Amino acid sequence: MHLRSSKWKQLAAVCAAAALPLTSLALEPAQAATTKVNVVGYSVVGPAYKVLETDFQATPAGAGVTFTNSFGASDTETNNVVAGQPADIVNLSYEPNLQTLVTAGRVAPSWASQELTLGGVNASLRLTKAQTTYRTPGIVTDSVVAFAVRPGNPLGIKNWGSLTKSGVQVVTPNPVTSGSARWNLLAGYAAQIAIGRSPKQGQNYLKALIANTVAQPTSGSAALAAFIAGTGNVLIDYEDDIDAAIAAGDQLQIVTPPQTLLIENPIALTYTGVTNPSAVAFYQYLFSAAGQTALASLGYRSVLKSVWASTESKFASFKKSTDLITVESLGGWPAVNPEFFSPTVVFPANSTTYPNSGIVTYLEKFAGSTA
Amino acid sequence: MPPDAWRHFRGVRAASALGRGSAKSLAVTYLSLLVLIPLAALVTNAFNKGLGSFWHAVTQQESLDALRLTLLCSFIASAVNAVAGLATAWVLVRDRFPGQAILNAIIDLPFALPTVVAGVIFYTLYGPLSPFHVNITGTWIGVTVAIMFVTLPFTVRSVQPVLESFTFSAESAAATLGASPARVFRTITLPALMPAILTGTGLAFARAIGEYGSVVFISNNLPYRSEVASSYIYSLAVSDQTNSAASVAVALLIIALALLIFFNVTAQRLARHRA
Repeated sequence: MHLRSSKWKQLAAVCAAAALPLTSLALEPAQAATTKVNVVGYSVVGPAYKVLETDFQATPAGAGVTFTNSFGASDTETNNVVAGQPADIVNLSYEPNLQTLVTAGRVAPSWASQELTLGGVNASLRLTKAQTTYRTPGIVTDSVVAFAVRPGNPLGIKNWGSLTKSGVQVVTPNPVTSGSARWNLLAGYAAQIAIGRSPKQGQNYLKALIANTVAQPTSGSAALAAFIAGTGNVLIDYEDDIDAAIAAGDQLQIVTPPQTLLIENPIALTYTGVTNPSAVAFYQYLFSAAGQTALASLGYRSVLKSVWASTESKFASFKKSTDLITVESLGGWPAVNPEFFSPTVVFPANSTTYPNSGIVTYLEKFAGSTA
Repeated sequence: MPPDAWRHFRGVRAASALGRGSAKSLAVTYLSLLVLIPLAALVTNAFNKGLGSFWHAVTQQESLDALRLTLLCSFIASAVNAVAGLATAWVLVRDRFPGQAILNAIIDLPFALPTVVAGVIFYTLYGPLSPFHVNITGTWIGVTVAIMFVTLPFTVRSVQPVLESFTFSAESAAATLGASPARVFRTITLPALMPAILTGTGLAFARAIGEYGSVVFISNNLPYRSEVASSYIYSLAVSDQTNSAASVAVALLIIALALLIFFNVTAQRLARHRA
């Protein structure tokens, strides 16, 4: 194609004109960096931030601070941040997402200790393993995996075993896109281990659970929406999300199974967040007694001793400390994540039905082939 | 003076040449930035681990199940819309009734409404708590209905202008010669509209296979069972399987391109045949 140089000049002029607003746009955050905070989080925590941000803006440290929020399926939000979406504070569903951000160079490898270095948290104020919940650094809220059922619990759902009975229709999000879904499926497995079953029996349990699943929406919020719209008769969800839905007037009832998984949602300041005083101040607020009390009233289990002591009675308790299982006791996320959720299924030498990598991936396929 | 005599004036000619030139460079730049470069990136991503890896990604059982569901629903939805869209366009052009202008304006609303909202509305109206006691969620019918809603304007808006510029002389002549209304429609009207119907249906189909917002919720998103292709691609893209995501997307694009070409060539051939 023949283009004369004058045309290129015209084109260059057009491009320059188009680029002008871009440069002014790029300059803007630099001027506003001290008062604007970009928050990125998993879908379920979104509504809580509306309350937390308003509360924070009413404090001296938060006066004049504005927020830009982005909430969605945890893996999606993580990938958006990797791709360059502005983020000062990331509050994601589970730890592997933070590891992804560390690898991508958006978050410091030492993010978990930020609560001590930047968050103003005194380690002795944190809950420790001797208490009902467990202390893991970098975790801003705890919750447990629970069930939402229809009013009056017509099917008599009481534990994980109830979910695999015939006629029970389970709603839980898609584990490929949703962090919430991973907590849910692991909880079902962990509960089997907690009542003395073997890992193979745990896998058989998951097989039956997935066979009873009628919807796997893309995120925890979408799963709740589908359940409220009438799909299924049990929703597996965060305890706090069910509490929030009930508080909002949705016709649900919560059932906390006697054995379940402790959910720990990590938070971090990104490299840009560390240099943004408003973001650091908000981060401090989230770990403060005021912030943790606000979170507790929104249905989250506090990670601060004092706040937990005064709010504990609101939450379902567990008979034995081993009834509330941690991912750590299952081997920790770096081991558990590929074991259950790797897209590639790998079997050990002596088995073709019990994979040691990609367990859920395999069971989803199995459910698809027998449906 | 011939109709294009204005072209012979030197000033006009120069201006028009300049206009053509800058229009061309603008179009090339614009298309490159918006379409060609992203497409090239997509294709590169799909094939940069080799043809074998592309084929492996596309022929995974979950991929085949998702592609089958999407293609089936898109095909049915665009076929239904070809008929329903023609009927709608017909009513809008040939009939006069109160509220016609409003109906005409409403046709384009599926384009304006965020498709996620459409999905939620359909879930509420035709879901487990349906006021009509119709539950199509989690089925291929639900996916098809959502796609029908999203793609309805395509056929209506392609057929409508052709029908409006249609002269009644041939139809009247046929009727005068004793042809029944059905025969007039079949032998005179329909063949004239066919190119427009095909173009509209092709666009609707291409739009349908990529649809995400309205179908991801209503399908219940069960892998291997009710997951649509766009949702499968999305799940691959967010779980660090970019190459597989690109591969399945390219497979979908190849199918769309093949169908668009087929529809366009057929439409052109029909138009030429009549001219």
